[in-house]
Amino acid sequence: MHWTATDRVEVSRRAFLTGLGGLTALTATGLSKGAMAEGLLNPAFLGTPLFASARREANGNYALAIIDDAGQDVARVPLPSRGHGMAVSPDKRRLMAFARRPGTFALLIDPFEQTKPKILTSIAGRHFYGHGCFSADGRLVYAVENDYEAVRGVIGVYDVSGREIRRLGEFETGGIGPHDLLLTDHGRTLVVANGGIQTHPEKPRQKLNIDTMAPSVAFINIETGDILVRHALTKDLHQLSLRHMAKDGQGQVWIGGQYEGDDGRTPPLVARMTLDDAPRLTEIPGTIGADLDGYIGSVVANASGDTIATSAPRGGKILFWSAATGDLIGTQDVIDGCGLAPIDDRAFLISDGTGGLSYLEDPTSRPDVLARPAGVAWDNHMFAL
Amino acid sequence: MHKTIVASVTLAAAVFCTAPAWAIDDDTPHVQQSIDGYIRPAFAKFAEEAALLAPATNAVCQDTTQESKAEFSDRYRALVEAFGGVSFLRFGPLIDDHRLESLAFMPDPRGITQRQIRKMLAEQDASATNPAQLAEKSVALQGLTALQLIAFDKSGNVILGDPSDKRDYICGYAEAITLNVSRITSKISVEWQDPDGYSSRLLSPSPETGQIRSSKEAIETIFNALVTGLIVVKDQELLPAIGTEISKSKANRLPFTRSADGRAYLISELEGIHATLVAANFSPSLGKEFGWLLNSLDFEFNNGITSLKAINQPLRQSIKDDEIYNRLNLLVITVNSLRDTMALELAGALSLTGGFNALDGD
Repeated sequence: MHWTATDRVEVSRRAFLTGLGGLTALTATGLSKGAMAEGLLNPAFLGTPLFASARREANGNYALAIIDDAGQDVARVPLPSRGHGMAVSPDKRRLMAFARRPGTFALLIDPFEQTKPKILTSIAGRHFYGHGCFSADGRLVYAVENDYEAVRGVIGVYDVSGREIRRLGEFETGGIGPHDLLLTDHGRTLVVANGGIQTHPEKPRQKLNIDTMAPSVAFINIETGDILVRHALTKDLHQLSLRHMAKDGQGQVWIGGQYEGDDGRTPPLVARMTLDDAPRLTEIPGTIGADLDGYIGSVVANASGDTIATSAPRGGKILFWSAATGDLIGTQDVIDGCGLAPIDDRAFLISDGTGGLSYLEDPTSRPDVLARPAGVAWDNHMFAL
Repeated sequence: MHKTIVASVTLAAAVFCTAPAWAIDDDTPHVQQSIDGYIRPAFAKFAEEAALLAPATNAVCQDTTQESKAEFSDRYRALVEAFGGVSFLRFGPLIDDHRLESLAFMPDPRGITQRQIRKMLAEQDASATNPAQLAEKSVALQGLTALQLIAFDKSGNVILGDPSDKRDYICGYAEAITLNVSRITSKISVEWQDPDGYSSRLLSPSPETGQIRSSKEAIETIFNALVTGLIVVKDQELLPAIGTEISKSKANRLPFTRSADGRAYLISELEGIHATLVAANFSPSLGKEFGWLLNSLDFEFNNGITSLKAINQPLRQSIKDDEIYNRLNLLVITVNSLRDTMALELAGALSLTGGFNALDGD
């Protein structure tokens, strides 16, 4: 295992740009062709379902890969250290990839344009948490950041519409350790999962407040920055770090948690809520729940929004939920499976740490491995472009 | 649990900074024994078999007889078996430069290879008959999986050399594939044998440089490849083939079943994974209370392999036979159990870590 990958990396702008010389477009079967002559991706790919994910390469380096719906690489962008999540623009033509916590870089990529990626570095005293999202008009990116000396979560607001990325300002998330975020209410409300865990980049992966952590989900008015509501679970679940989210077809926000308690409990791990409705926890049958090791990785809705998929990499399982009833409707086994992306109204693509990319026709069918690039470990999250 | 892992890693990292890696964790004997006892000989054998296929291919194209076809079929099977003995060693020389995908493009549930070959045959693209130029083409067109499609019919009969308007072109392409495969396997073998090559990274890990910084990371590289190999056998090969019920089974989803070598390939994968585990000789590093683990693994590997060996018909023709279908279903359970025992119990007993997302998520 490659532990320094989790160390804080100061990105030298020059070194990073040199690294981007390795930016490559690929043919459908993995061979490089001249990159950047026509943009990272040929516009012919505009009609193809594409997916993006961070990953560790066979040589131990980190990259962001864009793949097609057969699981084949179509483009690759080297990253200076481990990536995590990304923001995808509403028109699906741009993405901003974030460094994994406590990384300080983000990369704005226009894969279909003949432009170089733009690098964003977090401001002094901050680092990114690995997630971000675009505004509804595609002009802004909201990025979760750690104001670590003040021990507060903030959302940095960046204008990505111009030649340079500009930081316009920030607002508070109303909690510590903001992680995933998404827009709801026609883009007027930002929902942020405050994981609740205090960390400091000098102790990169240490959790400093497990005894007192207080996760929450904040609904924030993006015009004013006002926190409209802050949902929390009951006190006995204060050690369930609320982290990754998806919105279903009815506008409910689904969240997956990671349990930090060491009391041997098998707590509920998935909940749904709206601005007005407090979190409703789902039930995971005991035999399944015990195997998940208290950990949900990704939370994703299918394209129709009627099914939510949640990955549990420590249990090697993907769990599927009915958006209508909140019931568990099925599970599938994928060892070290974590990344999830909707393919269409029913199907999902699943990525795993052993390199596998699996097609799942629907929650009752078996995952079918499409590809397994040798030596690759797909990172936690995958996104449909 | 997560907290404990982080804390121990921080401690280990701190120790690495002040002491040479060998002083605190020395898995080098296991690494050395894996390499000498299995990996190097297996890649040498793979290269030898690959070198023998080219003349057999040439022979069947020069003089297409039952004998030359049988010889080609035998050589192809021997090479597939040698490939099964190394295809799970997905690190270092085997995976550099897309070599593994070039040697065999799989899985390929969407039939990318079939589509590309059809297009190439229609165009009679001359560059595919030149090994050097073939090596620049799509990886799907370069290796044993492509050769299988042009050299065998669905019943496992050799059709290479049979009369057709594309006979000579297909023969030229087949020979180019065998030469390309031979070149790649030879390179891999040479790189594995080279004491200053990739093996030195495993045997002399460096905390300062490179991807492998301790002998523990070196043995994890090998060990985790064995675990992934079992995942491949179960999730990528057996499960898609057996489907959710016998009527939905698809033997063609098992590698190399077109040439009737599916069973041979599966056996060689399991034998290879087992042999690497045996070569690593973990016994001295296991406490007495864990000694049973290796015996249990031996027993289960042997069960799985014996069960496969008892199948005496090609899987394409026999998978819908109840007895054989049930045998494959049982094999899934055996391989799953092998994976669990290795990844959860043996890894724990040896203090090895695996699982990229499971281990250190966010």
